[in-house]
Amino acid sequence: MVILVNYDADDNLSVVEASEICLKCGVCCVVKGHSCHAQLDGQFDPKHTYVYDCLGMDSPSENPNIWLCVSCHKCEELCPYDVSPIRFIESMKAEAFENGRAHPVIFGEVANIVSTGFAFPLTTSSRRQRQQLGLEPLDESAAEDLMKIAEITGLSEKIAQYRGEER
Amino acid sequence: MRYSFFKGCFLPVRLPHIEKVSVNVLGELGVELKETQGFSCCPEPVGFLSTDRLTGMAIAARNISLAEEEGLDILTLCNGCTYSLRHVNHTLKADEEAREKVNEVLSATDHQFRGTVDVKHFASVLMDDIGLHHITGKVEKPLEGLTVAGHTGCHIVSPPEIMAFDDPFDPQVLDKMVSVLGSEPADFDLKTLCCGWTLTNYGDKSGSDKLLGAKLEAMHRAGSDCISVICPQCFYQFDMGQLLASRRLGLEFSVPVLFYLQLLGLAMGYSLEDIGLKRHRTKSSGFEEKILEVLG
Ligand code: SF4
Ligand code: SF4
Repeated sequence: MVILVNYDADDNLSVVEASEICLKCGVCCVVKGHSCHAQLDGQFDPKHTYVYDCLGMDSPSENPNIWLCVSCHKCEELCPYDVSPIRFIESMKAEAFENGRAHPVIFGEVANIVSTGFAFPLTTSSRRQRQQLGLEPLDESAAEDLMKIAEITGLSEKIAQYRGEER
Repeated sequence: MRYSFFKGCFLPVRLPHIEKVSVNVLGELGVELKETQGFSCCPEPVGFLSTDRLTGMAIAARNISLAEEEGLDILTLCNGCTYSLRHVNHTLKADEEAREKVNEVLSATDHQFRGTVDVKHFASVLMDDIGLHHITGKVEKPLEGLTVAGHTGCHIVSPPEIMAFDDPFDPQVLDKMVSVLGSEPADFDLKTLCCGWTLTNYGDKSGSDKLLGAKLEAMHRAGSDCISVICPQCFYQFDMGQLLASRRLGLEFSVPVLFYLQLLGLAMGYSLEDIGLKRHRTKSSGFEEKILEVLG
């Protein structure tokens, strides 16, 4: 019997419960061209799909593969049993991030956004190109507000911790 | 037609020539883009919004509130920006508790989310606000004989209840946009497969090369002269990503990519120089000869 569990994205326990009804039918991962893109990473096959890998680990938030999820929602739309692997995986990403275990590229990106308003380093070459094309200079005025937001939500502290560990 | 112009961060930093041609083309179609001051990254949906949800929602809500203060709907040029902003707009309009929580965070700034504006991708604006018939009237040089593989991308279509753009498993809108220019939409396999951007960044490169190679081969087999996209990350993946992947995979063909507004610009009479083609990394002399012939 399939039990449907109502949950919201921030409620880890109920997201985990919802994942437990996965019947391992494979629909979310093996429909070529329509299903999960992370399935194509090279380490998965129809017997060991990306979604089984994410749902089936003992400590799923420590599984480095959670960072391969593109948040494309294909699994959610294909799953006949309303499991919604994307919500489970996003929830695990949030848990990993909370505990300082995010993919390093993601930590770098988040730190960039908070300190400059942009996800990428602002290079001299991009500033020059904009000037050559007659475009407005990059607008960096958001950074002050974003740092205030990150202070309140506790993100600044996590970034500082991460940078400390990196050193 | 006036919109608050949300450029995002990828396009202005890495692909400014596309920002330029987009502004020019949209302007000629009667779209006035207001340079709203103070926008930041949307924030990026895969790395940021899904991992630190509260901060991510507050940043998106702050962006939306800047457009609200100007009384304008937002126009974006990117699938990812549209995804983040529409998701947060949708959630905060519907969920009072979440709205209060986010506004409490925003109280440290001078902004509050009110839920009074809409967020639109430029392709929706072309389809719904300008209308394809109006675009037909602007086509001076129909791109007849050109076969174009339309890659819609993932984040603009899912989930359809929030994105309201196209069918995630059978996307048709971009093909209609390609047809209106006189060009032929390519009928290719693996049409809804992701461009592989995220796998390139956070995964195993050989996996993302395989994905990109399979997609490019399907496009090439279908006789595509070029690819057209509506997202800067997809653009980058098919341009720079293709260059790198094809070296590793030893591909013997290349399929150059154009942002849809560049293709539209060509049909409206822009030159290859006007659309900034020389800045693209994946070249094809065959494509350049053909397009010059088509443009006369
Ligand atoms: S949302 Fe993630 S898990 Fe679901 S299909 Fe897309 S990449 Fe796969
Ligand atoms: S998540 Fe759904 S579609 Fe995927 S294997 Fe489990 S039951 Fe099947």
